[in-house]
Amino acid sequence: MASVSELYDVGWEEMRDKLRKWREDNCRNSEQIVDVGEELISDHGSKLGDDVWIIYEQVMIAALDCSRDDLAITCLQELKKQFPDSHRVKRLSGMRLEALERYDEANKYYEAILQDDPTNTAARKRKIAILKAQGKTTEAVRELNEYLEQFVGDQEAWHELSELYINEHDYGKAAFCLEELMMTNPHNHLYCEQYAEVKYTQGGLENLELSRKYFAQALRLNNRNMRALFGLYMVSAIPRMSD
Amino acid sequence: MPIILTTQAYCKMLLHAAKYPHCAVNGLLVAEKVKDNKKDHSAPVICVDCVPLFHGTLALAPMLEVALTLIDTWCKENRYFIAGYYQANERTKDFRPNQVAEKVAARIAENFGETAIVMVDNSRLTMSCFEPIVLIYDHHENKWKSRDVNHDCFEDWVEAQKITSALLEGRSYEHLIDFDNHLDDLRNDWTNPVINKSVLDLC
Repeated sequence: MASVSELYDVGWEEMRDKLRKWREDNCRNSEQIVDVGEELISDHGSKLGDDVWIIYEQVMIAALDCSRDDLAITCLQELKKQFPDSHRVKRLSGMRLEALERYDEANKYYEAILQDDPTNTAARKRKIAILKAQGKTTEAVRELNEYLEQFVGDQEAWHELSELYINEHDYGKAAFCLEELMMTNPHNHLYCEQYAEVKYTQGGLENLELSRKYFAQALRLNNRNMRALFGLYMVSAIPRMSD
Repeated sequence: MPIILTTQAYCKMLLHAAKYPHCAVNGLLVAEKVKDNKKDHSAPVICVDCVPLFHGTLALAPMLEVALTLIDTWCKENRYFIAGYYQANERTKDFRPNQVAEKVAARIAENFGETAIVMVDNSRLTMSCFEPIVLIYDHHENKWKSRDVNHDCFEDWVEAQKITSALLEGRSYEHLIDFDNHLDDLRNDWTNPVINKSVLDLC
């Protein structure tokens, strides 16, 4: 099978830059990351300098997503050799156990990290992720709420909570989470638009009015947001909303 | 009047699920309209195609309503009608229809009484899929009950299995467009002519 560099005619620097872009954008295109990352590490590992460690981490997580335990273990071992006492690497070991569905063992890893460092947010979030994976949504919601009482500024957590509430059809609480996000990110058209969608789904005259306002706001912030445009049309087309 | 799946419908369903392994995905199943006087009420309804809708958050109304409206119009132009709904849940071992599935199916049932819910069994999704990995739920006495799925639920199971397997191995799901992709960039065509052609070429 042709290598990535052959297929796309790219050099190792472009591959490294692509991986960095995916890291910064938090993309979950795990198959691509594994393809590019595996080749980069095996063929050009020595040229990467200190970047190699963060690439190991990125590729390891992508490998877990693709069920490539062999690749995940390789990356993990390199990281363990280089950073033997690191909590960050311990968390990756825990994630590998999660991928193998060995949740109790994974939880032990995270609890050990939290004993050592009670403020370690990554370990707490992994514990919540385990609850979500096991389908224990109520507990996940409760733990996430407790987490957010302590770490009020964690936007990723607010967004995760809003998604959990939406899946439970608790639109009122989902709206609250999105309001927190909009307060700290007033120029983010995506939060406005998602808030408008939640309000629309809730229904009722007040909520529909809010929905229309926020679809309009999202469009003001980004006039190419098609969901906001469609949403504005849908909510305006409801009888009584065009009065 | 049970529904039957063609290769194209089954294939695109699984490609959609494979494209977003970490998300829930859903979509609609469409069947061809038969003239009333020719309609044989005991004949099964053949779902010739599916339209992948969303991935990730499925429980929000506005975009779903936009999709249903646009797809309805497209159906009328092509002499199709919406006959069913499919969903693959977020978690591997979860294959029961949830509230979203039941609500959408109820909406479809307003126009077509024999609507079915097709759930994908994620735990059995592999490259080869030697056996059908869907569960079909019909509405009986206000409840959704699953029916036995065997090779008779497909127009041609052997062909469906071969083509699905080939497309999964070839990573064709990278080119599958769902309605979410269309909303991100209107040039993306949710009727998936490219994938349809791939399926036809392999037939």
